[in-house]
Amino acid sequence: MESHHERAAAGDDRAIRFTGNWREYLPIAATNALLIIVTLGIYRFWASARQRRYLWSRTHVIDDTLEWTGTGKEMFLGFLIVIAILAPFFLFIQFLFPALMVRGKIEAASGILFLFYIALIYLGGFARFRALRYRLSRTYWHGIRGGSDDPGWNYGGEYLGRIALAAMTMWIMFPWAQTKLWNARWNAMSFGPLPFSAGLETEGLKARWALVYAAPFAAMIVAFMIIATLGLGMGVQDGPNPTIGGAFIAVLLLIYIAIPLATLHWYAKYYRHAAAATRLGDLEFDFDATTLQWLGLFLGNLALAIVTLGFGLTYWGYRNWAFMVRHMRVYGSVDLGDLTQSTTHAPREAEGFADAFDVGAI
Amino acid sequence: MIEGTLYDGATAHPHAVSVVVADGRRLALRQESGWSDRVEAGVLKRMDAPAGLLRLGRTDLPGWRLMLPAAAEAELSGLLGRHERYGRWIDRIGLVPALVAGAAITGVVVGTGYIAPHWIAPHVPMSWERNVGTAIVGDFGDLRCRDAKGQKALEDLVERVAPGATRGPNGIKVAALNVPIFNAAALPGGYIVVFKPAITETNPEALAGVLAHEVAHVRRRHVAEAMIREFGIGALIRLFAGNVGANAEQIVSLSYTRDNEAQADSDAIAMLKRAGISPKPTADLFTKLSKQQREIPGYGAEFLQSHPLSDKRAVKFSAAADPKAHYRPALSRDDEDALFDICSSRRTQK
Repeated sequence: MESHHERAAAGDDRAIRFTGNWREYLPIAATNALLIIVTLGIYRFWASARQRRYLWSRTHVIDDTLEWTGTGKEMFLGFLIVIAILAPFFLFIQFLFPALMVRGKIEAASGILFLFYIALIYLGGFARFRALRYRLSRTYWHGIRGGSDDPGWNYGGEYLGRIALAAMTMWIMFPWAQTKLWNARWNAMSFGPLPFSAGLETEGLKARWALVYAAPFAAMIVAFMIIATLGLGMGVQDGPNPTIGGAFIAVLLLIYIAIPLATLHWYAKYYRHAAAATRLGDLEFDFDATTLQWLGLFLGNLALAIVTLGFGLTYWGYRNWAFMVRHMRVYGSVDLGDLTQSTTHAPREAEGFADAFDVGAI
Repeated sequence: MIEGTLYDGATAHPHAVSVVVADGRRLALRQESGWSDRVEAGVLKRMDAPAGLLRLGRTDLPGWRLMLPAAAEAELSGLLGRHERYGRWIDRIGLVPALVAGAAITGVVVGTGYIAPHWIAPHVPMSWERNVGTAIVGDFGDLRCRDAKGQKALEDLVERVAPGATRGPNGIKVAALNVPIFNAAALPGGYIVVFKPAITETNPEALAGVLAHEVAHVRRRHVAEAMIREFGIGALIRLFAGNVGANAEQIVSLSYTRDNEAQADSDAIAMLKRAGISPKPTADLFTKLSKQQREIPGYGAEFLQSHPLSDKRAVKFSAAADPKAHYRPALSRDDEDALFDICSSRRTQK
């Protein structure tokens, strides 16, 4: 069997690159938006299949593009199946909870609600695993696809346990939960015959997580400095002082901005570490987006949506995907002769659960 | 003859192949090694590819891909079906007809879903609605304020504005709940609940206005109407608009249309007039609530959410006050005291 090696080179010759452009995507974005509106949202499954077909086909890996083979129909059916399973459950809770509350059975109602949220967290973890598995199973490269033989039920349990532990420790354990879950998820995935292997550690991520706790205090200190500076110039006045109220709002605002920023700062590093700790056969990955670049992406998305009076929303998926690909590097080689077809079971329920719980795959 | 690249779907290895169209309905593939294959046109499908490339797949072999220069499309056009663009169900009728048909159907569905409950609700037997209501509220359990004199005063107040309303098999059942939120609501099945602050922080005349408004919702079947609307079109839209998990919570929350609110207000004003109670205190209550809402966000938020309050509504009640009319108090002094103490624990009896 002849073998074929490709090695990533520097510069424009990157092993993974995005070749799409917004003008080429415009007809897809526009028709998707129109069809979603006139079908009361039912078209969104086909819209997302079209979007992915475009994005995958404009993502060049080594010497060929990726290919998305998932269909709108299977995502729609997957969604209906999940709704059929979840709807009775939701409706039951929706009647039971107010019925207990109005009778003053607060403990019983809280208990039911607690169990309900436990089930939601479990299903949320399960959904995230299934979404990743589904996406890999519909992603082809050189005629070969990915997948997983793990149905993800255990992952749901592990997710619930680790999130519960993190919550019980006031989220101090969150970095451990996230890294362990990343590993659990990716170690169950494969592409062709090659298993993914992820060995993400919390090393280097703990200090940044501590910043999330420090952020509100830092914001308060900054705010008090502002108040002190303003206070010096005010002198003695009678009656309520409007600047004090303004300063109070400024403190709140700063805290509301500081915590998400610190969290983003953590996630930026988390994703860089996660990519570096993940391998596929001999292939190694690298992801180099900084906190500022992530911020630029989110603010850009927001600005685009505002300036275009909402139409820009249809470009969020495009921009996010392009961002991921542009910041991604792949190193190493693939032996094409050894990259045989995946033997994993291709799931049929598509992303119904992920869709229902609104979680991403990565 | 066209030169192309083939992935066989078994390995990632690309094979150089030459392709010719055989008898107008097959592709004949040949490799230099001597390997050859024929593929029926029926199993071929076009896949998405960047400009300059024609990528074909097979419906019977998942990973099989044949990449040809885009120029080959003309030569193969007879073999390839139409390119799937928007999804088969849209492609079949074409984009523009699909948009027009979709817009028309959506218009009819939304229109019917929004308007139809108004016509259906009056025909829903009250006993059905009562079953739903009873399942939800029962006897209100421990939250209910059970002071007998207070309860009697509350029922008398409803009778003052709507004589006969609390009697009969489908009579309105009014209950005070010991919940520290300013609110009052009509629930399915003719139940009206009033939360404690709506009793203790108002006067009987303003409470009479609020109760009359809720009685109007019950009598006009607005509650059943809102339920049908929420379970019909409301659920449908939320379902497909995305994120079911978060939205499922809202499915059973009832909301009235603007028209229904206005009608309940008009009815309430008429009821107050017939009862000889001034609408002015109700107007003052609305003004006070909307002012407090502006000053202390959160206060009275519940009430405002279920009863969108505008200064216009206050003006409407205020304008209905007749300066020449001889208004009487809504309750006697004793009844007013009893009502005020309806939730006091010292007078609560199980």
